[in-house]
Amino acid sequence: MRNKQAHIPLLIVIALYACSCKTLNISRYYHHHQSTLDSIEQMYTVANKEKPFSIEFTDRRFDRVSLELATDSLTYIYEFWVGEDRMQDTLRKYGFSTRTVNNLITNMRSVDCTWINNLDYYTDERKHSLTYVTLWPRAFNFPFVKKKYYILTYFQQPQYFDGEGNLLVGRRLRRIRKINAEAFRRINDKVCYTLSDRFR
Amino acid sequence: MKSTPPLLLLIIFLSTLSLRSIGGPGHSTREETLTYLQSTHLSDTSIYWPNARGHLFLENLRENVRSPLSMYQGSNTNFCGYAAFSYLPLHDDPLQYVRFMLALYTEGHATWNNIKFSPSPEVMLAAGTLRFKGILDIHPADQMWFLVLADHFRSYLNLFHRKFYTGSEDTFWAACNLGKFNRMITRLMGYKTRTVGSDLIRPGIKDVYTYLENAIQTGTTFLYVNNTYLHVKNHDKSRFSFPTHYIVLTDIQRIGDIFQIIYWDYGGRTLRQVTPEFMKKIIFGVVCCIKEEAHEK
Repeated sequence: MRNKQAHIPLLIVIALYACSCKTLNISRYYHHHQSTLDSIEQMYTVANKEKPFSIEFTDRRFDRVSLELATDSLTYIYEFWVGEDRMQDTLRKYGFSTRTVNNLITNMRSVDCTWINNLDYYTDERKHSLTYVTLWPRAFNFPFVKKKYYILTYFQQPQYFDGEGNLLVGRRLRRIRKINAEAFRRINDKVCYTLSDRFR
Repeated sequence: MKSTPPLLLLIIFLSTLSLRSIGGPGHSTREETLTYLQSTHLSDTSIYWPNARGHLFLENLRENVRSPLSMYQGSNTNFCGYAAFSYLPLHDDPLQYVRFMLALYTEGHATWNNIKFSPSPEVMLAAGTLRFKGILDIHPADQMWFLVLADHFRSYLNLFHRKFYTGSEDTFWAACNLGKFNRMITRLMGYKTRTVGSDLIRPGIKDVYTYLENAIQTGTTFLYVNNTYLHVKNHDKSRFSFPTHYIVLTDIQRIGDIFQIIYWDYGGRTLRQVTPEFMKKIIFGVVCCIKEEAHEK
């Protein structure tokens, strides 16, 4: 009887560990899905240069998609069901490529990517851009557990890191660079990640 | 007889004071402000603002005057109240704004509508050093403007964050509650405001659409909103229920059962369609500015 009760705390610990959000190895996840993730980034970067936009999945099933379409005067935010005719009409109306956006949506769904956007940052008064790709792997979906996201940042140039793999401001300024108040770690020279409770 | 001139002077002085308090700002145009800026030269360094570079400062002012909608509060800062407030001087009296900023830069203090701004040394050191905030990184004038306003106007939200430390722009040091926001408008711009709402309880407007439509027709309309719904950052079902953000509502239209709104925040205007329930849920305050012409009617 005593032996049986002794198992209960152990089971609780195992259950808590299973619910922990740190079980996913993002580096492994990235390498496993590298071709898809890199192609998403490539496709997005090219399309975004032409006409800026961002894509967000608003639900856990990746069925609802919110598009932010930037034009010269206004940014339009619309939410659609994936594949909805209304979405195609809207994209055409504002001059966005339906093919590219649909491809992006399909690829994003396949790797549980919930958000993609472009971010500008500045070093020595010079503007640089990076692509912000947020992953919300389905393994993270536990009730009562705060939502966690893995954010990948794709830089255009190789970055500087300290010995522990933390992203630095630059070669001379060896401060930790924060993007959206988050510190990032190295996956490779141009791709970094962080774990965050916000997807943007 | 001898006492007449001083009495006359006193009357003129008093009438000037009363006109000032009623009349609010002088109105200036974008063109005259840009002309004024063209003839302005600054050294690249200031003894008061050691980290604000003169050439970036001037370029930032020009950019704000040329396209006032592009003013950006910076990512993850608590400067939204000050950024939203800027909508008024940049549209209604850009020359006053530019003169104020130049006086701050060159003299280390400045006066606006009889209110003297003497920024703290911490703020003077910080302006120009804020980083990883998007384009705010290279906008020292905006950094200075937000920091100076936050440093001068204080409220109960700032009670436990009295002094500026590195990173305070993201904390309650910079927070702006509805009372403070109103105070900035009335004291600096001299406008009367019609305000409903509070920092914790929603205003309970019965017909949101009609109310907001009337407000927009009356004057510049600010909404104090719960940003966790407007600018969603995570997929959590439970979200806290208090306001955190200011936007400028510029248009509202009813399309069937939904509202189509156009608002300004984060350096640009956004159009989106929302349900009436959503509007009611996010709005904690509505501030409508009534300019002189409107309240003379």
